[in-house]
Amino acid sequence: MGGIVNMSDTISSLKESIITYNRNLAREMATKAIGEGIEPNDILAGMTETIRKIGDDFGKGELFLPDLVGAASAMSEAISVVEAEIEKSGKEIEKIGTVVLGTVKGDIHDIGKTMVKTFLVAENFRVIDLGVDISSERFIEAIEKYNPEILALSALLTTTIAEQNRIIEVLKDKGIRDKVKVIIGGAATTQEFADEIGADGYEATAARAPRLCKTLLGKE
Amino acid sequence: MIRKKGITRNIRPLEILSEEQLESIHKNTLDVLENTGIRFESDKALKLFKENDCNVDMEKKIVRFPPWLVEECLRKCPSSFIVKGRGPRSDVRFGGNMSNFLPFPGKDTIDLETWEPRTPTRKEFYDTVKIMDALDTVHYTGSYVPWFGFKNTPAVMQMLEGDAANFRNSTMPLHCNYGNDCEVFAIRMAKALGAVNLGVVAISPPLTYQEDACISAFRNIEAGFPLYIQSGPTYGATSPVTTAGATVTNNAELMGGVVLAQLIKTGTGVLVSDFGFTQNMRSGYPVFGRIESSMHQVVFNQIWRRYKIPIGNHSTGVSNSKRIDYQCGYEKTISLMLSLLSGANEIGYHGCIYGELSFHPIQLILDDDVAATIGRFLQGVEVNDDTLAIDVINQVGPIPGTYLTEEHTRKWWKNEQFIPKSSDSLTYLEWMEANKKDCIEYAKDRMEKILQTHKPEPLSDSEEKAIEEILSEAREFYRKSGKISDKEWEACKEDVNSAGYPYY
Repeated sequence: MGGIVNMSDTISSLKESIITYNRNLAREMATKAIGEGIEPNDILAGMTETIRKIGDDFGKGELFLPDLVGAASAMSEAISVVEAEIEKSGKEIEKIGTVVLGTVKGDIHDIGKTMVKTFLVAENFRVIDLGVDISSERFIEAIEKYNPEILALSALLTTTIAEQNRIIEVLKDKGIRDKVKVIIGGAATTQEFADEIGADGYEATAARAPRLCKTLLGKE
Repeated sequence: MIRKKGITRNIRPLEILSEEQLESIHKNTLDVLENTGIRFESDKALKLFKENDCNVDMEKKIVRFPPWLVEECLRKCPSSFIVKGRGPRSDVRFGGNMSNFLPFPGKDTIDLETWEPRTPTRKEFYDTVKIMDALDTVHYTGSYVPWFGFKNTPAVMQMLEGDAANFRNSTMPLHCNYGNDCEVFAIRMAKALGAVNLGVVAISPPLTYQEDACISAFRNIEAGFPLYIQSGPTYGATSPVTTAGATVTNNAELMGGVVLAQLIKTGTGVLVSDFGFTQNMRSGYPVFGRIESSMHQVVFNQIWRRYKIPIGNHSTGVSNSKRIDYQCGYEKTISLMLSLLSGANEIGYHGCIYGELSFHPIQLILDDDVAATIGRFLQGVEVNDDTLAIDVINQVGPIPGTYLTEEHTRKWWKNEQFIPKSSDSLTYLEWMEANKKDCIEYAKDRMEKILQTHKPEPLSDSEEKAIEEILSEAREFYRKSGKISDKEWEACKEDVNSAGYPYY
């Protein structure tokens, strides 16, 4: 019995670390949970539940961007610990799908992309966030390494959206265009532009990214 | 009950007069008081002035003041004082670097489709008081607020019915007007609830106090209440057209009232209020929302801050627009900004649209955002180790560093940012999906929410009984004295006997 109480105590503390945006505590509690023998996928499920609640509260206007991003940041710390453990054990991570995400080369805008990541994580996607100013070569490398179902390309500027087009062209050249669904987003993008460059999906807000991805994967 | 806190000014006040100009206005004001004098149409006041070394012409009712007496009385006024609503946390302090707001009354409400004025109903009146009670930037209320009256109320009873509505649906203190002996009943209402009113005394410019204004001063001071003395000239008609000249007559008038208050009872709290307007030189009507009123008020505030007497600004709350529109917004906001920057302690602002003729609760709610926005500005800039954020700057560094994930951002952003409650803060896409809502529609939503959720602290049974008895006595008094017509009396009886009275 004591073990169960401790298990739930650790998971509670881990959830608390996300709600209080405490990165150090998140990492510490994830390590502790694994040390206590809690099933890694159960640890992930606990965190997903918490971040979904934060996403919902953000959607209702009760929480704000710093809260959302702070929670996501704390959760990322814990996820890296848990995923390393899963990888070590050779088990599969129970996820709806994997999304490789990044802001395209020449563009250093991070916020919208981070929001997309947060909402996707909350809906149980595995998200590989490559960061900002990412070259087509690095996107290709990531596709080969992580084998994602979805490639999500962010661009804020009218001067950088052309790079989204270029990446699609590179995927075609490499003969891997059919391996992934490509979605695009960012302030300067539109549905018309997405159609024009042959992207598989577009959404105007970060909160709608999970719905778009689920639709593309036929999981909604 | 949550205590409402006035706006604190942490920045240096705006001043536009040099020391030399200030001194010149002061000296010339004393000269006007000594040579031209002020007319007081009250034998009781004239007698008091005569007993205290003033040169009094009893026939012309003119009082000429020795400068030493004026300066002594200015010194005797407290630099701050408290008024009280009902309940333990309802006190409001006027003075120092605090600014407190009173909604600015209007005669009528307006129809939002046609923008035409009409008399509000009793329910609209009570509901709007409830909204005022809920808003953080409305700190006190008063006679004829929000409207001069409501349907089926005899003209002579409008002030008292309004005072009762304010006492019933809010816990805030009241500034109480006078006329037809109404102040006697208003004082009794306040006493029954343990409240301390701000007793109004209005000057009739140029340079005249009518008898009922003097009587109000005596009655309120004898009740232990502080005074709110107001001068409201129209520049070029009831004062000189120049800002300097209008300031001299305005200040002379107010100083006459200050002397009267201190002679009635030394140490009486006085708030001096400026309420001047530009004249439309075609029609002769006052024209509201013009910059001259603000220039006058900024000068006024600088001078009276020197005297260390609490200052009221009442030219701030009005526009000449008949609609809730761009003109209304800019006229009201510019004048409010200047009043607050120059250190007004009391401001009549929220809700009013055109002159004193129209008021609407949507404007009241929009004005809550404007007052709070400028209030945020007046908080000033905090500079300390934590706000300088050097450690965080060092940690985040250049791109790809971001402050968004930093604890420092989460800790400080709500303190640094003020989020208006009724403004459109959306992107184009969000705006289109929200049916292209504008600030007026957001204010309507907020109004509905307040009306559904806000519950003003109710009067106790004995307090309610006391208020109703005073109203009933006043109605009988004015009916017997012939100040309520047969037609008014019938409508009044129907109103009082209707189901749901008085709240609906």
